[in-house]
Amino acid sequence: MNALKVKNIRKTFRLSKKQRKIEQTSIKKKIAVDDVSFEAKPGEIFGLLGPNGAGKTTALRCIATLIKPDEGDIIVGDYSALKESTEVRKRIAFLTNELKLEDHFTPNYLFQYFSRLHGIDEATIKARRQRLFQRFGIDKFQEVKVADLSTGMKQKISIAIALVHDPDFIVFDEPTNGLDVMTAKTVTDYLVELRNEGKTIILSTHILHVVEKLCDRVGIIIEGKMKAYGILEDVIQTSSDGTLETLFFDLVKEEAGEVHG
Amino acid sequence: MDNMLTIFKKEMYRVLTDRRLILTIFIMPGLAIFVMYSLIGTLVQNQATAVEEHTIILYEENMPDAIRLYLEQLSDESNEQRIHIEFRDQRDYDEETLKAYVREGDIDIVLLFEDDFHEKILNYTDEEPPTLTVFYNYGRQQSSFSYNNIMPVIEYYRNTYLIERLEDPAYYQVFSVQYVEGIVDERVLSGQMMAMMLPMLIVIFLFAGAMSIGPDSIAGEKERGTIATLLVTPIKRREIAFGKVLSLGMLSFISALSSFVGIALSLPRLMQMDDSGVSYAIYTMTDYVVIFSILIATVLVIVGLISVISAFAKTIKEAQMFIMPFYFITLIIGIVTSFGAEPSQSMWVHFMPIYGAVNLLSGVFTFQWLMINYVIVLVSSVVYTMMFIYALTLMFNDEKIMFQK
Ligand SMILES: Nc1ncnc2c1ncn2[C@@H]1O[C@H](COP(=O)(O)OP(=O)(O)OP(=O)(O)O)[C@@H](O)[C@H]1O
Ligand SMILES: [Mg+2]
Repeated sequence: MNALKVKNIRKTFRLSKKQRKIEQTSIKKKIAVDDVSFEAKPGEIFGLLGPNGAGKTTALRCIATLIKPDEGDIIVGDYSALKESTEVRKRIAFLTNELKLEDHFTPNYLFQYFSRLHGIDEATIKARRQRLFQRFGIDKFQEVKVADLSTGMKQKISIAIALVHDPDFIVFDEPTNGLDVMTAKTVTDYLVELRNEGKTIILSTHILHVVEKLCDRVGIIIEGKMKAYGILEDVIQTSSDGTLETLFFDLVKEEAGEVHG
Repeated sequence: MDNMLTIFKKEMYRVLTDRRLILTIFIMPGLAIFVMYSLIGTLVQNQATAVEEHTIILYEENMPDAIRLYLEQLSDESNEQRIHIEFRDQRDYDEETLKAYVREGDIDIVLLFEDDFHEKILNYTDEEPPTLTVFYNYGRQQSSFSYNNIMPVIEYYRNTYLIERLEDPAYYQVFSVQYVEGIVDERVLSGQMMAMMLPMLIVIFLFAGAMSIGPDSIAGEKERGTIATLLVTPIKRREIAFGKVLSLGMLSFISALSSFVGIALSLPRLMQMDDSGVSYAIYTMTDYVVIFSILIATVLVIVGLISVISAFAKTIKEAQMFIMPFYFITLIIGIVTSFGAEPSQSMWVHFMPIYGAVNLLSGVFTFQWLMINYVIVLVSSVVYTMMFIYALTLMFNDEKIMFQK
């Protein structure tokens, strides 16, 4: 299986009046992702670390074929996310932290619905559902409406639904955000399991210890620019005191200095 | 195709398993119409009873004795279904004065027979038929009531005398009828007006039904972020657009059927009092098929429009706000068609989305419609729906619309 390669992508948004007011700027364009490149390999977890508004979600959406970068290319395995989006969609999972499942449906229904949209046969759907629901402890709640479930359970259902087609590439945007320790551990443990199966995993986060514990490779993105990138240990090496935390704060400060000074 | 069906089913399931939605879109419209029409029916019925006891003031000139005799029998005390008639026959009124009297209600009906009317009927040949001029004011119940009770007598007279000499009297127009159009009393709702109001009510309920589910189905996906999960599946955007529009169409159609049932159930009460105008029983199978197909076509256009608007909005609330102006336009269309002039027969009118269909519906309800306009409405509705679905497909493909901030 081939790696996932992000090659010099750039994404610019035109800011609406409202956005300009919120961000207190008169500039009409915002470069959300600025010449970003990285590579995620099968059997590895890549962590995209960055503060709020750094461009993480934008970069991940580009990989998931939901939006198109203005420049650059993204190769997912053997296909270009820009030119062969349908092929990429068959092989990729995308989970955003902005997702709220539809209240009215049961986990069972939603799993089946998205499985069918992926063209999976009923026998496989049943087998996969059983496996994933058991793994996440959803089976007891499979006929309960989403509205009546806890935040943690909802997130676990969202993850199961994102994985209905057993994809080789998994792109998760802040998958443990807002979860309690127990649920967060279930999620990260499962990501490790998927890595060991040889999947290519990309996740974004602004939480340092998630990266430290989980990731093989890391990229630090600030204001749309990739400030540090490489194997986790190598990146930590470049820090003045040998911790990821110091490196991260130094990079954020440096960027802030460039912007304001 | 399979994917479209999957989406279709999911949208159907969403609504059909939600008790609150079932109540608001399937039960409420029918119930509201039923209550409203039954109420109006009862009110007008009371008025109608009062009218039946009214004494008809009839003014005539040169009335053949035979007719007079029938009418006198009709108003005879021994007659069980007796109608009170008071004859007036001053000879010194000109037509304008008579019209004024009819308009103001001093006289209910005027029958001006040509000189020697009876002789002319007896000696009727292919030449100019003798004329009977009738003035009545259909805006006044007493006057309509008079017209409806006296015209059959004249018809009977005509047939009796002609049938002796001609095989098919219906074929000959023996006299012409002319009426004075009075100012319609707004409190008096005639059956005609009821029929005219139906298209408005149906379209408004259609729109309201579609409006209560469309935003959730499309803008809701954006608001919840589920649109990303949907768009990252390998299905075609066209399939999403078709699935959404067709399911919404189906649901709105059921909602419209509900209003239909409401109408059908309240009709009997409406019929009783309806002595002046249209009887629903005389609609033919063809009429029903036409009505049914116009409804489907209209549903699709409305749902297509609402879907496109919903796709623009970021949230359900915003979608509802964006749809409001279109709802008002539809309301205005409905009101104009119901209370305005007769339904237009112009082809151009029928090319207009929604308005054309409402106009045609109103025409069908009042028996004034043309096949060509029916075809225009159907074909143009399909074209509009396809355009909306195409636009929706483009929007699902447009990241600026799907992921705007
Ligand atoms: N569709 C859009 N239109 C306009 N601007 C956008 C859009 N999407 C993102 N942006 C802007 O681009 C920048 C990066 O946003 P992005 O959501 O990618 O950041 P993030 O790293 O995911 O932040 P967070 O941690 O808050 O999720 C922000 O300034 C944001 O306002
Ligand atoms: Mg984000």
